[in-house]
Amino acid sequence: MALPQAAALLAASLTLAVSAAAALADPPAAASRGPVSSGLTGPATVVSPPKTTPSGSEALDVSLSPECRVPGSKLYTLARLGAVKLALKEKRPVRVLTVGGSSAGLGASATYPVKLETALERSLPNVDVVVESRGMQGEIASGAAERLRNMVAELEPDLVIWQVGTHDALARVDADVFATALAETVQWIKGHEIDVVLVNPVYTASLADDEYYTSLVRKVQEVAEHEGVPLVQRYEAMRYLSGLSQKGEGHLLGSQFRLNELGLRCMAEHVTRAITLSLLQADPGAPLAPVIVPPRDAAAKAASPPPSILVRPGD
Amino acid sequence: MREPNAIDFWRGLALVTIFINHIPGNTFERYTYSQYGISDAAELFVFLAGWSIGIATRGRDGRPEPRLKTVLRLLSRTIEVYRAQITIMALALAIIAGTALVLDNPLLLEWHNAGGFFADPIQSMVGVVLLTHQLGFFNILPLYVVLIGIAPVFVLVARVSRLAALALSFGLYAASLVFEWNLPSWPGEGGWFFDPLCWQLLLVLGFVGEDLNRRSPGLRAKSKRLVPLGIAIVATGVVLAVFEIRPDPLLVPEPRLFFAFDKTYLTPARLIHFLGVLLAFQTLYAVLAPRLGPVTGYLAGLGRNSLAVFSIGSLLSLAAQLVRFRTGGGVFVDISVVGSGLIALGFTAWFVEWRSRKPRPSSPQA
Repeated sequence: MALPQAAALLAASLTLAVSAAAALADPPAAASRGPVSSGLTGPATVVSPPKTTPSGSEALDVSLSPECRVPGSKLYTLARLGAVKLALKEKRPVRVLTVGGSSAGLGASATYPVKLETALERSLPNVDVVVESRGMQGEIASGAAERLRNMVAELEPDLVIWQVGTHDALARVDADVFATALAETVQWIKGHEIDVVLVNPVYTASLADDEYYTSLVRKVQEVAEHEGVPLVQRYEAMRYLSGLSQKGEGHLLGSQFRLNELGLRCMAEHVTRAITLSLLQADPGAPLAPVIVPPRDAAAKAASPPPSILVRPGD
Repeated sequence: MREPNAIDFWRGLALVTIFINHIPGNTFERYTYSQYGISDAAELFVFLAGWSIGIATRGRDGRPEPRLKTVLRLLSRTIEVYRAQITIMALALAIIAGTALVLDNPLLLEWHNAGGFFADPIQSMVGVVLLTHQLGFFNILPLYVVLIGIAPVFVLVARVSRLAALALSFGLYAASLVFEWNLPSWPGEGGWFFDPLCWQLLLVLGFVGEDLNRRSPGLRAKSKRLVPLGIAIVATGVVLAVFEIRPDPLLVPEPRLFFAFDKTYLTPARLIHFLGVLLAFQTLYAVLAPRLGPVTGYLAGLGRNSLAVFSIGSLLSLAAQLVRFRTGGGVFVDISVVGSGLIALGFTAWFVEWRSRKPRPSSPQA
């Protein structure tokens, strides 16, 4: 690992630690570091902040805004982001293309791409992040794949953040057809030395028992796992949040709409968190293997794969 | 009401194809010709619009009508199309929002580009009126508004010199491909789904094609000799589409849009394929029309009333999408929604003609 890259990562990890410290009353017994392949000291282990939830289950990720706090295992699975690391190393702006859904929630003061750019720049100090956003208009499965390829060719980003699955779910595209098209596209993007982060569709109560919908959400997870790309588990995160925010003050719209709002508002933060933590992933071949701690929450385990994040018991 | 003719027939077929293709994932999608070529019904629709402008701006004797009349006629049509777009956008957004409320399912709010509207209605409302905020599947009429809006320029130039009109149109097309010019989306980023600066070429080709077709029988004979070429292009298209063979847009040489397959910019591959389709099927109507019986009348009826049929078709395909989503889809649902949709399109065409036959349908007839 070259020095500038290591420096950038170190800076990133420090910011994370600092922001965690700011959010916490008690000092973080957080970031421990281990050696990486080149022998340089660099961050290899990220430890979730040592705050326990009242239920005694996994710690919330307190680097997030209070209303967006979700335990790490319900929020992301991480993987290496080589192209973004390279951009950081070469000290050039990181170009991000975010695809599918550009809203940031009702009455948000900034749009999702703006919020994302701000959040990323806050997490990666001294790095210029340029976020371009594109919506999908009518394409599903392999049609969406083709449209995405053209978008990527137009913008040539370092990183593609793809909120995927909503339109396919609405069109009831066969889950396997969907997964195949998604996997092929992810492979294509990666084949061009561009990073991908997948974001799965929203959680909403009326679809919680819809087998087809949950299978589609699972497919996104499987593809992310299989292709080794980070995943923002919007579905799990919102399901977690839905358990917290059921205090029903009178509202014209149903509680599902308020949850959806919250999900949209938190998304820039959630995506940023997954990206920043993914950047701290050790390079392949690093002597220090990721420490995988299985989630203690059995319910979460059923719906999500074991998190590949590096967590240490916080309590 | 005019008798069925080739233009109305093909336009009717394009409308049916668009209706079916706008219910993504449905069983019948794979039976539309869009699945077997590089170009699809949108190209046909725009080309025929140009052809119709050629017919509409001339008298029966083929002499062009006065220039001012042409400009006003096209302006009036632009306003009509614009009005249709605003109306169907309002209805579509209400259908999406209403269904999301009834089903208590905010996922529906993220329906093809609608999420931006519901999250930021203040800017998006302005965008809707400016045609810069478009929903998926509701992006053809904005293209039309611009195309018919700028059509007077091409029509009047073509009266002086068809070659000049073609050169102007082709120049704009080529420059847009090189420099990736497009009208902007707003709010949101990126450009229009159908780039009018590129798609205008098809309109002008249709318009000039109509002119040449009427004037020069020699050219018609020549183009008939090109049927085999057309068939070869169509066959190539089938192979490319079925095996999903297409250039990797990141590997093509610059200017990349000359080589990529991209609907937004009507890239050359799509254009060539469409021209191949035209050449291959130019004489097919004469063969089909007598053999299809009532189908010919049905499709021509849709084509004669294309704006109304397209508008209702857009809303019906949205409704069909929501029904499919709610019920989980399946062949039976698909047969029901597509079947009732096709009946409703036929009724729309009939109803529009009935209304125009009866100037005041609400007042009792003597």
